[in-house]
Amino acid sequence: MNNPRVLLISVHHPELVRGGAQQVCYELFEGLKESPDFDPVLLAAIDNSDPALYRSGARITGFDGRPDEYLFLGRDYDFIWHKTTDPRMVEAFAEFLALTRPDVVHFHHFLNLGVDLLTLTRRVLPDCRIVFTFHEFLSICHAYGQMVRTTDRSLCGYASAVRCHQCFPERAPETFFVRKQWFREHLDAVDVFTVPSRFMIKTYADWGLPPERIRHVSNGQRNYSAGPIAEEPRQRRNRFGFFGQLVDGKGVAVLLRAAGLLRAQGFTDFVVEINGDNLRYASEAGRAEFEGFRAAEEALPVEQRNIVFSGPYQVDRLPRLMARIDWCVVPSVWWEVFGLVISEAWMFRRPVIASDVGGMAERVQHEVGGLLFPMGDARALATTMHRACTETGLWDRLVAGMPEPPTRETMVEVFAAVYRGEAA
Amino acid sequence: MIESPDPLPDFDPDFDEAAYLKLYPDIAAAVSSGKRRSGLEHYLRYGRAEGRHFVGRRDHWTEVRFGASAGLEGGPAAAPRHAIETVLLSESGRLFITGWFDDSRTRLAALRVEGQGWIVRLQSEALSRTSRADVEASLGRTERGALGFFVLLNAGSPLAISADCRCVLEWESAQPAAKTIPIRVVAAAELREIVLGYVTAAASGGSQVPAMLALDAMAGDQIVSLNRAITERITAAPFVERFGPTTRDCKGSIIICLYGRPEYLAIQNALFTRKPGIEDYEFIYICNSPELLERLLKEARASALIYGLGQTVVGLPANAGFAAANNAAARLARGRRILFVNPDVFPKDPAWAARHTGIVEAGGPGSRLFGATLFYDDGSLMHGGMYLELDTGLAVRGDRVETRRFARVEHYGKGAPPDTAAYLRPRPVPAVSGAFLSVERDWFERLGGFSEDYVLGHYEDADFCLRSLAAGVPAWVQDVRLWHLEGRGSVRRAVHEGANIVNRWLFSRRWAELISTDLCGPAPRRDLLADVAPPACAASRRDAEEMSATETVPEPTPA
Repeated sequence: MNNPRVLLISVHHPELVRGGAQQVCYELFEGLKESPDFDPVLLAAIDNSDPALYRSGARITGFDGRPDEYLFLGRDYDFIWHKTTDPRMVEAFAEFLALTRPDVVHFHHFLNLGVDLLTLTRRVLPDCRIVFTFHEFLSICHAYGQMVRTTDRSLCGYASAVRCHQCFPERAPETFFVRKQWFREHLDAVDVFTVPSRFMIKTYADWGLPPERIRHVSNGQRNYSAGPIAEEPRQRRNRFGFFGQLVDGKGVAVLLRAAGLLRAQGFTDFVVEINGDNLRYASEAGRAEFEGFRAAEEALPVEQRNIVFSGPYQVDRLPRLMARIDWCVVPSVWWEVFGLVISEAWMFRRPVIASDVGGMAERVQHEVGGLLFPMGDARALATTMHRACTETGLWDRLVAGMPEPPTRETMVEVFAAVYRGEAA
Repeated sequence: MIESPDPLPDFDPDFDEAAYLKLYPDIAAAVSSGKRRSGLEHYLRYGRAEGRHFVGRRDHWTEVRFGASAGLEGGPAAAPRHAIETVLLSESGRLFITGWFDDSRTRLAALRVEGQGWIVRLQSEALSRTSRADVEASLGRTERGALGFFVLLNAGSPLAISADCRCVLEWESAQPAAKTIPIRVVAAAELREIVLGYVTAAASGGSQVPAMLALDAMAGDQIVSLNRAITERITAAPFVERFGPTTRDCKGSIIICLYGRPEYLAIQNALFTRKPGIEDYEFIYICNSPELLERLLKEARASALIYGLGQTVVGLPANAGFAAANNAAARLARGRRILFVNPDVFPKDPAWAARHTGIVEAGGPGSRLFGATLFYDDGSLMHGGMYLELDTGLAVRGDRVETRRFARVEHYGKGAPPDTAAYLRPRPVPAVSGAFLSVERDWFERLGGFSEDYVLGHYEDADFCLRSLAAGVPAWVQDVRLWHLEGRGSVRRAVHEGANIVNRWLFSRRWAELISTDLCGPAPRRDLLADVAPPACAASRRDAEEMSATETVPEPTPA
């Protein structure tokens, strides 16, 4: 008897576009490949940021000679209703399902593919098991799924037709009523939902998904470190690192402002290293602030600079990059549903300084494995960074209290149970 | 003083006796009591001096002469100030003229337009008068009046097209004024939009009344005629393509008219599919937006694969409006039952289709024609049937106040708590909303479908229900629960406001008399609707009657 075939559907291919959702999906794909019990297939969406990968007349193709990896060459995507308006894409997806005949279809997103493909999957494969992993709240929230009010950038506790209309005044409240009906209808095709953080269960249950169908599965990763970082004893733990996408929600601006405040207070014995990419996906204002800060910093004499802009990175460079820092700062200004960077910091035994909300607050225990500060508060972050630089023994105490990050093996085991329909 | 034998004529072929008496009820009373011999006699003897209007017969208001030409005639005084601003001509011979004139000193007798080989002469009664704030300001007038005008007429045959025409204003006691005005040739659909724009503009101060009174002149009938000509051509040869499975035993055809919002096809497919009993129905989407048809075909092709519903897409080359498009779709329907559903209507009760089938198959008085209980997205009731009201419209015309009764359509229970049993219970009602209207196909065809006299949309649903009522079959509202996001399923443009005014004017002309007799208000007296009113309305009617009988409301007695 053949192994169950698992089709993993990814929002992007991590080789092409960095991001947590695609990275976790790919980790799972690689983990399942190592498992003797499953035959995984990956279908990753791409958008027109990679035009060279579009083959004439093709809707789905292989990827770079990699076995069992395919690209969904997305086009004509409607970002309002999250569906493609090109019926050939729908037909190609249906044919792909019919050809690969997966026993499990595990969506790690619908973005760039279409939420209606969930319903299509159920029609084409009535007996398959459909699993859906939420990586943010895009089903609930039109504001990039971040549940951050566009009116004042405050966190949003729940969506409603009127509240969403307040965030998007050009759209009538009824639009959001229909949006919810539309998403709920398609999500109804799913057998099991998974979320990487427990607090998300309540958010989705409050929105109307049956809580008994939502399971918590931590995002696991293989350990990129090759053991403890060899380093000379240090007097001061005054090197901070930011890792992630340079989009508004990741809060890099809060860190830059905090660095500016420290300097304004006359405290200059620290370094902040910014590692990341995708500034093009930031808002215009976010881009302008970042670029302005970088230009001002780079205009300073080298000896006066506190901030280093290191550019994009792949995970294989993490050992080098983590060796250059003492603290990993996660200043996200949204719920940050999991925060892979927290796991990555822990792999290298680097304590985390994070915003005190969502997945960050759920994972980082204040004063035990790291430090929390009020989300978006640059002054509070500056105070925390000053303390981190100056308080003797703090770094060692937090390193000692830091948990081990979730592993890829554990994640694969839990998803295997989900695929088999085993109870949590 | 003894009056001499009356030398006045008893008949004038241009005088509309009935319309004059309708316009002036005091004279009508005088004639019926024998004080005056006729309206004409009154006009000639007193009315003219009193400044009352000579009410000409509509069919005498215009005269078109082919192969004619005319010169200017001399007159005693200089012509009052005036301007002819627009002359539009359609290829089929419809002429639209706009401008303004100051008739405070002398009445305009007629407007003559002379083209190449044709002359059109319009008596002033044919002109729709409108207020023009810009002209009033320019003339330094402090009192509001109706200085502007527009007129639409159908010559019946194409008029020879020339670069310009000569417009002559004939005054009762002033020199005629003539001016050469360029002619712009426009397509009929564009002409309709332009005319409706003038109708919209005529609704001054937020009131539709001046615009509706202006339509009385001649423009109202002419707009209806123009609209019919347009829609007949649009619906003559629709594009039809079918998608998905063929519904085997089609119990009903759900017809959805789309305009401006193609995304609702996929959304409705998603929200109607997988509901009990929906497999017995076919969907017909008819598109009034030709520019969206290609997108719609893509949506239908993808939706057929994703949702598996059988559906037909019908494309029209232009906007035929709600009535004509739905009638065209009904001709393509395979079901014995037709359900007209708005694109922004979705199931609230998942079993709505099975319930609908049950009502139809059970038969009975409430099954031939019925509407649904519709709900807003906030959960409150949006529609539990419709009733009719009359408004008195007032407009100042010179030194007179003109009045007319205009019909208004209201919903039972609009905004009421969702569980208000009085509005949810099945019962006959004066009318139901076209947002969801289910009708026996045979009955729909016997009544001739929706009246295509209505322009673009609005009032055709109530008109259909009243025709059915007049034929002995009242509409019912049944407790079939659906959401209705009123007004979100299509785009609304400025032209729709003009169409709405024309439609209300038309609906009022057809039904105001019947409504005033026994259909007015939420608790009408008409026999077939004896059970119509929810208790609150019935109570208020009883209260009103009792109050009316005692004439005065006693003050509360001090304790």
